[in-house]
Amino acid sequence: MGLSGRFRSALVIGGQGIRARKLRTFLSMISLFLGVLAVIAVQAGSVLANRALLADIEMVEGKDGTVVVGVPSGDRAPAAVLDTVRGRPDAIAMMSTSAIIGEPNLTPINPGGVPLRYADQGGPPVTMTCTPQGVCYAEPQESPPPRGMAIELQLVGITGDIRQFRPFHTEAGNWLDFAGEPSMSPRLVLNREAALAFTQYQLPAEMRIGSAYSGSADAGSPHPTPRVIGAINDGNQQPTAYVRADELLNWLSASAMGSQSMTIIMSPAAVTVGPTLRAKLGPELGNQLYFRTVDSRERIGGQLDLMRWIFYGMAALVLLIGVAGILNVGLATIGERVEELALRRAVGTPRLLLAGIVLAETLLTGLLTAAAAVVTGIVGLQAAGYFFGDKRPSLQNVAFPWEAGVAGVIAGLVAGILGGLFPAIRAARIPIATVMRA
Amino acid sequence: MTAIPIQPPLIQLSGVTKTLKGQGEPRPILSGVDLTVRAGESVAILGRSGSGKSTLLSLIGLFDRPDGGQYLLHGRDISRIPERRAARLRSQEFGFVFQRFFLLKHLTAMQNVAMALVNGQGWLPRRKRRAKVMTALEQVGIAHLAKHRPARLSGGEQQRVAIARALVREPRVLLADEPTGALDTETGALVIDVLHAATDRGCGLILVTHDHAHANRMGRVVRLSDGLLVPERAGVFS
Repeated sequence: MGLSGRFRSALVIGGQGIRARKLRTFLSMISLFLGVLAVIAVQAGSVLANRALLADIEMVEGKDGTVVVGVPSGDRAPAAVLDTVRGRPDAIAMMSTSAIIGEPNLTPINPGGVPLRYADQGGPPVTMTCTPQGVCYAEPQESPPPRGMAIELQLVGITGDIRQFRPFHTEAGNWLDFAGEPSMSPRLVLNREAALAFTQYQLPAEMRIGSAYSGSADAGSPHPTPRVIGAINDGNQQPTAYVRADELLNWLSASAMGSQSMTIIMSPAAVTVGPTLRAKLGPELGNQLYFRTVDSRERIGGQLDLMRWIFYGMAALVLLIGVAGILNVGLATIGERVEELALRRAVGTPRLLLAGIVLAETLLTGLLTAAAAVVTGIVGLQAAGYFFGDKRPSLQNVAFPWEAGVAGVIAGLVAGILGGLFPAIRAARIPIATVMRA
Repeated sequence: MTAIPIQPPLIQLSGVTKTLKGQGEPRPILSGVDLTVRAGESVAILGRSGSGKSTLLSLIGLFDRPDGGQYLLHGRDISRIPERRAARLRSQEFGFVFQRFFLLKHLTAMQNVAMALVNGQGWLPRRKRRAKVMTALEQVGIAHLAKHRPARLSGGEQQRVAIARALVREPRVLLADEPTGALDTETGALVIDVLHAATDRGCGLILVTHDHAHANRMGRVVRLSDGLLVPERAGVFS
């Protein structure tokens, strides 16, 4: 009861003090407001940057904890991989190859499937030649076909919905439907870069599986007629198309399948995948399996730390200016309130409570300021999304990070304590006999 | 003559000394004060300016501690009590009225009186607090001015608010330091009436004043001279 009574008394009297000096409280709040807002901006910026970076990395690497299994190429590998993941919701297989979509018998705009903005920077198409000893070398093609309306892209066949591990953003159309029989006309979902090529060039829907750069997309390569059903953002700068693995396999020979690089992406709970796959691959290939667990959060954490601390330092300086403002006002106010405080002591208010009253006033000021700064931060973020969302998609529909709100409240409280401490000590030391000598 | 039962002493000072230590030479103010005040008794302290009346009152009210001698409150020695206990005793045992009213201008009369209840010594719910405040304001006859701020009150009314603030915790002793100093004679007499009425409810009253007329209305009059208290007129308890 005693503590509660003192606490309540401090709040009641502190509230009376603030009401009695509204203008002064408001003025001291202004300088503090900027400091708290700086802390909120730094924290919010840091969290949002972290989120954006993490989201980009997750699209490419996978969510934290996802296990990525690199499968060595080999004749037995495709069948073993497909058998292992068949019917499993917690693991999918992914195989990559190259493909050219567009006019036949032309060199694509971007040989080798490079991003479109680097299309003119590549050298001439080459032919890869490998010796029986396994040494491969590239030779410029003697008379490559002329460049024309065709693009080369990475064709990724997947056995299930990869988005559970890599959260792609659907930008248009639909995602792949894995139910039902595979189609002989492969359904493609393009990534942003590939979709850009389709908007820039008139590309006929003819696809050759293989690469122009290596000369593997020759006349003998399979050339299905694909159907583009959607576009996604996968965070990849290279033109890429996603296709159901079984629809891709309709067009790939067994030898071609065996030479493709394959990857399994699975949840950490899919513990039986590794042993099963190893058993199916046999000791030679099985021992070459490579397991990697995605830990993006930890990896990028360090990248932003230095920048964050630099900005925190700057925000702290601004906050200190606010604290100095509160301190200044607080000391001046104590000077004016000497008689009131001495009188309060005369009627039985303990020194500690007197200090508490002064601290309660600055704490309430700090909290009110923090609340105002948090509201400003929320409104500011919404306004930034509204006005600049078109230019900066990362600002669209961004929720205000709760961490920034907490940082703002803590900054307000710390500023209140720092700004109120000296005035509180001074208030507690006011001699009670002041009222007798007045 | 009706026999008045002798009350046990509320306050007993014996041989109390106090020296003021400023920037110059230490100046002895009280050199062995003896004073006893009983419940319901009123005592006036007279003396020249600078004779130590207010210093004596500040020792009695536990604003300060004596350098020497003994101070008993209800028979318990409180000459050297720590500040924390002194604050509690100031809240529970004493009511203070000063020459200046010390009302907070941003608070209403009611809030000014309630100030003595919101001092961290226990907590009263708002309704009980309000009831106590209104009772105190009624005792001093200004309940109708409860919602007025000090700027709208006359000097006498302001002093009565200050007295209500002193009475609201139902103290055992009222300490009044020249409460009529800032008032005209007529208003001053009304204020003394209000203070005197408190003694009828068993409250001890120590009044420091320069005004002989007001002093003569107290049960006993003492004069502080050369650091000592000299009886000027004995009271019924003497």
